[in-house]
Formats: sequence, structure tokens, C-alpha cells
Amino acid sequence: MASVDLALATISFKRKIAYKTTWIFSVLFGGWSLLAGLAVWSNLIGDGEMGGYDWQAMKAYLIIGFLTSTLAWAGSDWDMANRILDGLVAVDLTKPVDFQRARAGEYIGGMVASVPAAALGTTAAVLIFRPAPPDSALAAVLTVVSVLLIFPLAFGINYLSVLTCFVTQRFLGIQWARDTMLAFFSGMMVPLALMPVWLQATAWALPFVHFTTTPASIYLGRVGTAGALGLLAAQAAWAAALWVIGRLIWSQLVKKVTVHGG
Amino acid sequence: MADTTLRASAARHAGGVYWRSLVAQIRAITEYPADFWVMASAGVMWNVLQFAFLTVLFAAVPDVAGWRYHEMLMLSGLLTVAAGSTALLCDGVWSTGTYVLKGEIDYRITRPAPVVVQVATSHIGMQGFGEVGFGLVMVAYGWIGAGMGLAAVPVGVLGLACAIVIECALITALCAVNFWLKGNNSIFAFVLLDLQHNAMTMPLALFPAAVKIVTMFVVPVAFVNFVPVAVLTGHLTSWWLVGPPLTAAASVLLAAGLYRLGLRSYDSSGH
Repeated sequence: MASVDLALATISFKRKIAYKTTWIFSVLFGGWSLLAGLAVWSNLIGDGEMGGYDWQAMKAYLIIGFLTSTLAWAGSDWDMANRILDGLVAVDLTKPVDFQRARAGEYIGGMVASVPAAALGTTAAVLIFRPAPPDSALAAVLTVVSVLLIFPLAFGINYLSVLTCFVTQRFLGIQWARDTMLAFFSGMMVPLALMPVWLQATAWALPFVHFTTTPASIYLGRVGTAGALGLLAAQAAWAAALWVIGRLIWSQLVKKVTVHGG
Repeated sequence: MADTTLRASAARHAGGVYWRSLVAQIRAITEYPADFWVMASAGVMWNVLQFAFLTVLFAAVPDVAGWRYHEMLMLSGLLTVAAGSTALLCDGVWSTGTYVLKGEIDYRITRPAPVVVQVATSHIGMQGFGEVGFGLVMVAYGWIGAGMGLAAVPVGVLGLACAIVIECALITALCAVNFWLKGNNSIFAFVLLDLQHNAMTMPLALFPAAVKIVTMFVVPVAFVNFVPVAVLTGHLTSWWLVGPPLTAAASVLLAAGLYRLGLRSYDSSGH
């Protein structure tokens, strides 16, 4: 990583935590969806199981989903989008820094700002709800690797969604659509195991699945070591592929830049 | 008497400005058809996946806390219509925080129209077209599937109208918090939507008493979709129908009051 990447990531990190009250409130409220999920699935599963998840396993699944979604949604996607919508992207084009790399640095910096909140929330949830432990020490390590791979993966997906601002006037609707796709196809809304086969196949063909189902499957031992390594390889491949796709789309969309009618 | 006439005239003027601004935004939309279709499709996405979620869920369970599939569709559909309506009717309030930070409230104060009206109509969220359209489809599909007839339509229309007013007012009120809590993002309004999308698409019986009290009486989001649908489907008695109009009135007063207080404390940027 070059010093310029680190500098941009640091600036983004500081910008994220500059408005401390907003940041504290986002930390406090971040766990709401986890609590709602626990209430719903506790009622549905009871003493039985659904899709191979008993209550202990489901608690672990939901807490992993909370951790990964807190990280995935914490980047500076709005800053990226506003640069395109406001036309500041024209200034970026004059700078001797690759646009995508610069935005990646900023995005990862924003995600890092959410790590204390995610860690604190996850620790509290584990202590309070006592979910199932990892299947093995190796599964725990591989789960951590999977969570780390979410950083480049989240940037790839968010960057692609932000690029739509070249052809739209607002980002809010795109953000909702992207977040919903992520929540559904990652398995955060409902585990993939409960979906019909064709929908499972669709989900596995998309990158979103690696945000919740992959780390949770590894953690709970629903896949063996070989399967876990395969999932991690697919996760890494998606991160690389999204980077390349982003670059290709950027090269086409940047031709559409018009600033103040010029 | 003169005071009443003056107030009525001011309300007519504000309404006129609101309507003209909204029409101007709609005319602007027609200049960007590709943008419209991208955003409207994005709005449909949440509904389609919520539809899929409920369908997948109810393939595994017969009911959730006594609520059946079609009733739950109505619950989600009504929430979507209300949330989508805010994008169409007052999407600009989401920019309150940014306007405050950049001092862009300044010139709106100098213009002869209520600031909240000018801010609310500074954008239209085109995803709202998709949300409202597909949300109504979900409500209609759930309505028919739940075996409800035409006799309940007046209650449904009342619930729908109140849902839109409450949602717009609560979002405006929570965006007004950014007059004091400085930041680009309206975190409280986001939290409200998050609360609604997580809890209000499910029967309240699933949640602890604290959640019921909060959503009924503190941040009364239950009156947006849960109470009207519960009355329509017989999960609550018809006495509860008093709630949505009262909540709508209280929410509007809260939003107007908070925005007015916010403007009093507004000190432009850099001071």
C-alpha cells in the first residue's frame, strides 16, 4: 500500500469520526436490527430447528450477520457518490492519483472507523446471548479471514453502485436497492437454507452471499476445511473481479461527465 | 377574524408554493427518463425482495405470531407505500443536515415561503414511484388473498392517508434534529426507517413489551402500518382506528414545531 492510499484512508477515518455525536448514535443504534432478528427467529425456531439451524446456531448466524453488515455498510459511499453528483469528480480527474484506488483508500478508511463499534457490539452480543461456539479453532481462524475479505468485497459492490450516479440524479434509492439486495442474497434476511433451490443457486452466483452465509457456514462447520477454503477462494475471486469490472465501467461512464453544462 | 383570514391566506400561499415546487421537480424528471427508470426500478427492488422473503418464510411456517402470509403482505405493502410517499412528497428534508452544515438555509430564510416547504420540495426521490406502485400491488394482493371485501375499503383509505401523513411528518421531525446534531446524514431518520423495516414488517407480538410501548407511544410508527392492518384483519378491535388520525395530527405538530425551533437555533455555517 502506497503512502497516498494510507493518507486517504486516514483522512476518511478522521472525517467519519469528526462528527462524534452522530458517530456515537450510529454505534448505539447499530444493534437494533440484530435484536429484531433475534426476537423474530427465537419465536420461529423455538426448541426446534429451521434449515438445519437450531436456536444456538441461529444466534451465532445472526451475530455474524450483524458484524459483517456493520462493516459492509460503514464505508464512505455517500462521499464517493456526492463527488460524482456534485461534479467534483472533474477535479479528481486532474489529480495524479488513480480514481478507483483513491476511493478504495477512502472507503476502507471509513470501514475501519466502524471496527470499534462492530467489535463492541459483537462482544456484547456474544456475552449476552451466548451463541454456539466456532466448530473448531481452524474454523474460527478461517471465519476471521472471511470477515477480512469483506473489506475489498464491500468496496467493490459499493463502488459499482456509486458509479450509477453518472446516470442518475440521486443516490438514496440506489443505496436502498443495493442494501436490500445485500440483505436478501447474503442470507441476512432469511438463511439461504430456507430458500428454494433455484433461489439458492441465484444467491450463490452473486457476490452478496459472502457477506453472511460464507463466514457463518465456516464458523458453524456447515462446510469442511476444503469447502471453507473453496468459499474463501470464491470470496477473494469476487473481490478481484469486482475491482476489474469497476475499472471497465468507470472507463465508459467517465466519458459522460458534464460539469455545469460544459 | 382578521387573524384567521391571514392564517388561511398564509396556508394557501404555502400550499401553492409547495405544489408549484413539486410540479417543477416532476417537470425536471421528465427531462431525465433514464434516471427515472433506474430509480423507480431501485424502488421496486426492496418490495420484490420483501415479497420473496415472506414467500420463502411462509413456505417453512404456516403463520408468524398468528399472522398469515397475506396479512403480512399487507403489513409490508402499507409500510412501503408510506415510506415511498415520503420520497415523492418531502424527499428534500433528508438534505436538511447538509443545508445546515453548508449554510444553505440562509437564502431560503430570505424567500417568502416557509423554509420547511422549500427544503422538502428541493428533491423528489424517484424511487418513490416504484415503492408506492409495488407497495400498492402488495397491499391489493394481500387484501384479496386475506379474503377482505369492498366494505373495508373506507377504513383502508383512512389508514393509508394517515400512514402517509405520519411517515412524512416523522421523517421531517427527525431530519430537523440535524439543526442541533450536526452532520450530513440524518441518522435519526435512518434509524426510524431501520426500525420500521426490521420491526414493523413483523407482528408486534414477537417483540418485548418495551418495543410495543416505544412503537405505539414514543415513536408511534405502529400507527403507520401495524395498527391499520391489525384492525382490518381483526387482530385489533376497531377502537384502535382512533389512533392513526390522532397520531397524524400530533406528528405534523411535532414536525412543524421542531423545524421552527431548529430554524431559531440555526446560525449558518462557520459561526
